[in-house]
Amino acid sequence: MSTFRIPGKGRVDSTKPVQFLFNGKTYAGFEGDTVASALLASGVHLVGRSFKYHRPRGILSAGSEEPNALLGIDHGPGRVEPNTRATVIEISPGLKTISQNHWPSLERDVGAINDVLYMLFSAGFYYKTFMWPKSFWNKVYEPIIRGTAGLGKSPIVPDPDIYASRFAHCDVLVVGAGPAGLAAALDAGRSGAKVLLVDEQAELGGSLLSETDAGVDGMTGWAWLKASVDELAGMSNVTLLPRTTAIGYYHQNFVGLCQRITDHLASAPEGTPRERMWKVRAKQVVLAQGAIEKPLVFDGNDRPGVMLAGSARSYLNRYGVKVGDSPVVVTSHDSAWLAAFDLARAGVKVAAIIDIRPAVPEHLTTSASALGIEVLLGWTVTGTKGRLRISSLRAKPIDGGVAQAREFACDALLMSGGWNPSLHLFSHTQGKLEWREDAQVFLPAKHIEQSRCAGAGNGNFGLAKVLAEGAEAGVAAATDAGFSGTVSAYTVSDELDMTGVSSRELPTDKNPSTAKAFVDFQNDVTAKDIRLAVREGFKSIEHIKRYTTTGMATDQGKTSNINGLAIAADAVQRQAPAVGLTTFRPPYTPTTFGAFAGYSRGGLFDVTRKTAIDAWAQERGAVFEPVALWRRAWYFPKPGEDMHAAVARECKATRDSLGIFDASTLGKIEIVGPDAAEFLNRMYTNPWSKLQPGRCRYGVLLGEDGFIRDDGVIGRLTTDRFHVTTTTGGAARVLNMMEDYLQTEFPDLKVWLTSTTEQWSVIAINGPNARNLLAPLIEGIDLSEEAFPHMSVATGRICGVPTRLFRMSFTGERGYEVNVPARYGRAIWEKLIAEGQAYGITPYGTETMHVLRAEKGYIIVGQDTDGTLTPDDAGLGWAIGKAKADFVGKRSLARPDMLKADRKQLVGLLTADPKVVLEEGAQIVLDPNQSVPMKMVGHVTSSYWSVSLGRSIALAVIEGGNARMGETVHIPMPDGTLRAEVTGTVFVDPENTRLSA
Amino acid sequence: MQTHHPLAGRALPGAQGRVSIRPVEDCTRFILRIDPQNLGAASSVWGANLPPTIGGLVSGSGRIATCIGPDEWYLIAPLTEQDAIESAFAALYATTIHSLVDVSHREVGIAVDGPDAVLALQASIAFDIAAMLVGSGCRTIIDRVQIILLREGQDSFRVEVWNSFSDHVWNLLAGICREIELGV
Repeated sequence: MSTFRIPGKGRVDSTKPVQFLFNGKTYAGFEGDTVASALLASGVHLVGRSFKYHRPRGILSAGSEEPNALLGIDHGPGRVEPNTRATVIEISPGLKTISQNHWPSLERDVGAINDVLYMLFSAGFYYKTFMWPKSFWNKVYEPIIRGTAGLGKSPIVPDPDIYASRFAHCDVLVVGAGPAGLAAALDAGRSGAKVLLVDEQAELGGSLLSETDAGVDGMTGWAWLKASVDELAGMSNVTLLPRTTAIGYYHQNFVGLCQRITDHLASAPEGTPRERMWKVRAKQVVLAQGAIEKPLVFDGNDRPGVMLAGSARSYLNRYGVKVGDSPVVVTSHDSAWLAAFDLARAGVKVAAIIDIRPAVPEHLTTSASALGIEVLLGWTVTGTKGRLRISSLRAKPIDGGVAQAREFACDALLMSGGWNPSLHLFSHTQGKLEWREDAQVFLPAKHIEQSRCAGAGNGNFGLAKVLAEGAEAGVAAATDAGFSGTVSAYTVSDELDMTGVSSRELPTDKNPSTAKAFVDFQNDVTAKDIRLAVREGFKSIEHIKRYTTTGMATDQGKTSNINGLAIAADAVQRQAPAVGLTTFRPPYTPTTFGAFAGYSRGGLFDVTRKTAIDAWAQERGAVFEPVALWRRAWYFPKPGEDMHAAVARECKATRDSLGIFDASTLGKIEIVGPDAAEFLNRMYTNPWSKLQPGRCRYGVLLGEDGFIRDDGVIGRLTTDRFHVTTTTGGAARVLNMMEDYLQTEFPDLKVWLTSTTEQWSVIAINGPNARNLLAPLIEGIDLSEEAFPHMSVATGRICGVPTRLFRMSFTGERGYEVNVPARYGRAIWEKLIAEGQAYGITPYGTETMHVLRAEKGYIIVGQDTDGTLTPDDAGLGWAIGKAKADFVGKRSLARPDMLKADRKQLVGLLTADPKVVLEEGAQIVLDPNQSVPMKMVGHVTSSYWSVSLGRSIALAVIEGGNARMGETVHIPMPDGTLRAEVTGTVFVDPENTRLSA
Repeated sequence: MQTHHPLAGRALPGAQGRVSIRPVEDCTRFILRIDPQNLGAASSVWGANLPPTIGGLVSGSGRIATCIGPDEWYLIAPLTEQDAIESAFAALYATTIHSLVDVSHREVGIAVDGPDAVLALQASIAFDIAAMLVGSGCRTIIDRVQIILLREGQDSFRVEVWNSFSDHVWNLLAGICREIELGV
């Protein structure tokens, strides 16, 4: 294995070797290496194939902006992730990485045929090519395109990791721990403000980690960095978060941070979250995100070995890795010269520095000459050669003839088009950007949030400027957060002033229409694609982006946007701001779904509410169904029983003798005050004033539109105290609606509402033996028919426990609802089960409850109603207090539409074939022989097998249903049309004799 | 009759003493709604001053009263005092209307104690817990679940949550406590 590691250079820990796999082969690196730096240390540049043309691609950068070096990583079973950037993944023992988007191998890839056929794959290729025949799109084109497009493979097994989240509040959040961010955090921290300093990298320091020339306050840059980080770590009011990416900046200084906790570790204790999402509310934010180096655009600029000069300098100074033995530099900016100088000083033979500028600062040429590097000013690069790695380049004077062109052998080409401020988070806030024609950059202008930018991200380059601006920003932020501090002054030594120019494509003497000069490496978009888009009529960068795909996908155009914009602006002959800048969208870098989900997975994915009796049902093998957030016992199968058999048995037992049902989930609201009855008069359709204490009544609640919202039985405990029940799903919204009306419409009423849903366990006892079971257990309530008739309520004791006992029925049988304080629910239930054995007491679930109530034509709001039924439509006209002056929805009930005879009305259906159980939701037609599409006049809302009747029953809403009694309607189904007769809604015991049987 | 506490038998002492969670023993709880102008009368019946402003909390003799709305107080008392409190307020009703509703069994108390209690709660509560006054209470949301949060001491909190949500909140806090124990 050839080594490109320079002993003694860099910040990696050479005493801690780490081995990992790339494409099945073991590579060695050190603690502190990224996958990219470790691969480069072994001379590996080729790490992937490009998205569209399958061109060999290498490592472009040394940071999170990387568009090329996207690998699949494998941390073990289930921990597989595609498209991660080799430049940010820290190596750890046992880490497996693989390259993507090739077959059969990275070196020999069949898909590279696309590169030869590149003329076919111009901008808008898919739109133009796959238009005809239209019918091919869904079945042929799209599946094939989707199959071949995309990098990497999605994981197919559940993620075994856990993820955490945390809210946090601070005075000053500093994003980016480069020199500007450090200076800001230091001064803000010294002021006493609560500071969060975050940086996406493993180590704090930003550009200082790669800087070996300049010194601060008489120390080397690295010594100052260590002193600064140590000081910050010692401040109790400062929290340092390395490996933490600020992914999005939202309203009112709310910033999302994704912290990586375990990915860089070989192992972690059980229960350690892989990542944590911080949801930070900061009083002030300092954005010190730095700048991203711009690639140069020229033919063959994507060949492995071609990389950003600043990144090559990082690999050398930070990781001790030389990116080649014979590099060439091409640049339009001074900073690339420093990379050449550092490499030369490290013993690397730099073949040439090619600068497109006709003149550069003299100190650069002086240094180059001293280091023996050939300098070509006013020259350009017009092409590169090499199959899987650059082997040579062609350069020529910009103004010179073909004869002057020269070929340079090289194994790396280091390029720099200058630096572009990282504006992403600022842009998330919709802050205004300002175009600087001189520097060809957009800069943050007007801040929308309580934020400020500092350093290279604000367009200020150079360590001295950056430190000064960072310190100022830190103090200003702390001051605005209510603290006071002084701006520290820093003395910077040995720093060079950086200058440069901006270019579009590099000048070339070759045919630009065949040049593969890449603008967006990740999406394989070339300069000619952008020019083609402009020629075809796209003038706005937002349209050009979508037509060419430049700036799309996971890197969000970090390296490509500004070059793409410059080329587009040139092509449309307008200034850059007129073409516009595409929107940066969160997240700043790709973020795992796990981090977003946080704790919300497995049992914590959502709340599952359970009653006090739920555990008993589970122990007895009940099958559950979700109802709103609750889970409720659906039926209680005995061994060998299916649902049909279990429900039939439960129904029969209840009608014949005794059933017991957990009704605890019903919503309950206690309404107290002298105006309680008047409040109910105004809310519910029914009259309440004359309801005597000790009695209860079924109530219907409408919306202002006159449609049924909820229903339930309401008991009057005393003159001023009512016990209201609601549907299970309606509990919260009914209370909210009542509070809303009470506070906004009826503030004059002296009445208060309290939710008591969970105060009470509710046990429904139904069947001819209901009273026989309860009578011996109840104290203080006379259960005789005269003293406690149907629709009564009383307080007393059951088995010594306080109870609110209701006499009511949702089955048509004699029924009671025993309310006991919830802690007693389980014990009373078990006592009733034990005492009920004499009557064959049978626990039943929600399905049996549904069947029994449907046999009686009792509706379920939300099943038999759908938000468009009035009380009359639902057959509940009797529940309207006709004499009342007003109630919510009353006026709407008088609108002409509400009185039409052909409104959908709730009716019963009996199928012609009594064995056929209709499907709930099935549509109903009057004439089965009409042509398709038929006129649908209604649908089935409830449908069950009735064991009492030995046949099926159904409820349905049908246009003008009340006038269709006895008529036959038709229900077309996939395997034939069914017939049914329209009937009333009460199928069992229409005289209600069983209620008191 | 036997009672079943929804979190019976659960406790997380917290290995390094950073944060512990445990179910609070059963107690009497009421929601009191009354016109704030009549707070004096209610305080007399309660036997201690009811806090007049939202967030205020007054505790002593095993009782806690916290103001959680413009006309709403959450009252906690020992189990044995339930009947006496109910009778006293019932007598008050004749002269001063109000609503006193027994919610003893609606709620489950979870005590969150330790130097990292703030951190544990902050994981899933959006407002700044560190800034919450010692001796205050509020109605808030933890991971989608409505709770009443009481801060009884610098490192001592009490979550009051409805029965059916208590399992979710317990499991959430248990996982968070584990993270804190691991020091990550």
